[in-house]
Amino acid sequence: MFFHIVLERNMQLHPRYFGRNLRDNLVAKLMKDVEGTCSGRHGFVVAVTGIENVGKGLIRDGTGFVTFPVKYQCVVFRPFKGEILEAVVTMVNKMGFFAEAGPVQIFVSNHLIPDDMEFQSGDMPNYTTSDGSVKIQKDSEVRLKIIGTRVDATEIFCIGTIKDDFLGVINDPVAI
Amino acid sequence: MSIVTDSPVHSSSSSDDFIAYLDDALDAGSPNSSSSDEEAENGDEFESVRVKRQKVEITEEIEGSTSEGTMGLNLEASVEGECTHPGSFGDMCIRCGQKLDGESGTTFGYIHKGLRLHDEEISRLRNTDVKNLLCRKKLYLVLDLDHTLLNSTHLAHLSSEEVHLLTQADSLGDVSNGSLFKLEHMHMMTKLRPSVRTFLKEANEMFEMYIYTMGDRPYALEMAKLLDPRGEYFNAKVISRDDGTQKHQKGLDVLLGQESAVLILDDTEHVWMEHKDNLILMERYHFFGSSCRQFNLNCKSLSESKSDEDETDGALARVLNVLKQVHCTFFDKLEEDLVDRDVRKVLSSVRSEVLSGCVIVFSRILHSALPALKKMAERMGATCLTELDPSVTHVVATDAGTEKSRWAVKEKKFLVHPRWIEAANYFWQKQPEENFVVKKMQ
Repeated sequence: MFFHIVLERNMQLHPRYFGRNLRDNLVAKLMKDVEGTCSGRHGFVVAVTGIENVGKGLIRDGTGFVTFPVKYQCVVFRPFKGEILEAVVTMVNKMGFFAEAGPVQIFVSNHLIPDDMEFQSGDMPNYTTSDGSVKIQKDSEVRLKIIGTRVDATEIFCIGTIKDDFLGVINDPVAI
Repeated sequence: MSIVTDSPVHSSSSSDDFIAYLDDALDAGSPNSSSSDEEAENGDEFESVRVKRQKVEITEEIEGSTSEGTMGLNLEASVEGECTHPGSFGDMCIRCGQKLDGESGTTFGYIHKGLRLHDEEISRLRNTDVKNLLCRKKLYLVLDLDHTLLNSTHLAHLSSEEVHLLTQADSLGDVSNGSLFKLEHMHMMTKLRPSVRTFLKEANEMFEMYIYTMGDRPYALEMAKLLDPRGEYFNAKVISRDDGTQKHQKGLDVLLGQESAVLILDDTEHVWMEHKDNLILMERYHFFGSSCRQFNLNCKSLSESKSDEDETDGALARVLNVLKQVHCTFFDKLEEDLVDRDVRKVLSSVRSEVLSGCVIVFSRILHSALPALKKMAERMGATCLTELDPSVTHVVATDAGTEKSRWAVKEKKFLVHPRWIEAANYFWQKQPEENFVVKKMQ
């Protein structure tokens, strides 16, 4: 799920960046530091959308660095247990398949794949129904339900299932 | 938290609360969390939830994508039976999502980071996979990298006679045609063994192949890219020393296949202590001088002598024939059910035909080397005697002047150097005895 929230961060700036472009440098550094990172509470920071407020800078004792408290608005992405997500399949093997929803890695084990889908190995390993009507292979899009999430320092891992109603491959009308 | 609509700074605490509340609400709807005792609690939660939701609507700052419908998530806990926790991904059970702190099971990091499987699941997967493969007439083949399929050296270890190779390296752009590669970022040069691509292509029809090397994972993946640029053979099947369960030993426990259907191709025997019966020992490929020096061999390496193994008759081509023979015997000549057949038995029966019919007596062999040599000869089907008798066909000696050697020459029996036995072991064929003449020691 995506959120648009306000976060705060203390940015340290080297005096070489002071001057006319101080604020721009600060904003650029903030974006470089924060976009693409992950935290347990908020999930992945996808993009910084605006700066709310830059506080007064405080010179640190001992070094010449200055700390600015910056409040910024950003879009964050965090998966929740119980949430339904669409994801793209990245790897299919005999244990299940791995899918990605943006920066989140999701694993759907074959215990949580409907029983009528069988694993077919070969050049393009896939899961297919007995009548061949539904096929899950690399780059397929699937709708899955998250049943567990775990946040690491840099990544979020999830366990998913497609065993419920309305879950599974998303039919692409454009495909041949 | 109070509703402050005129504050210039939107605090993030309300969004934190919303996140926490969402966590609880969605959690309540999933199978493992609520039991009937907690029905009352959930009722209360929803009371406070309704209050919070009002606050959210007033401040109008949150743009979550949830609809109100999700708040009415089913509280009924659809209780499935006790989950057997077949494995974990990122420390969560792959079936019920519960946090598992276990150390049980085996890590399969080479398939995907963070994947762990527990023992029953591993055996279940092994059984299904083996049945699947046997139906498609395939067995498993585990390949070693260094000195078996290729030879690598650090750029710093190139001798003066090899420096010219740096300019002869094939381009990394189109890997499928080259055999000598310079990997700048790893400071290495790698030479693929002659006819390795034909070998892989033909072996792929008969086997599901894995790479198992004692190198680290980045090295293993780089080599896999050179051998298999399109990812047809070794996709998610590259096992490095970081994936093994024992230090300095290779094992088939990280392989999802039955031991009775696995063949191993490696140049080192002592790393496969538990699986010697599955092993086909390969002659080492010493292309670079550093490789010869590593094994204390004083001869010139292949690059230093400006030569290479033969394309059509090299070690890989010969081993491919052995693999074809074993494969053919396994699938066409055995009579039991597919799942009861054992490739190890087939391997030893093929091996015992190499020197079958030979009766060997040893003379003046180094005492420490004798038991191994004898065992090697016997595994290949030869009979080893200690005393001369008319049935003897070969005398294996290091000195042509011993009594047994002279007897062999007199009786027109074959007198060969012990290397004749070792050659038969590598070539899987009896070698012409004329190439292994023994000289008289002075």
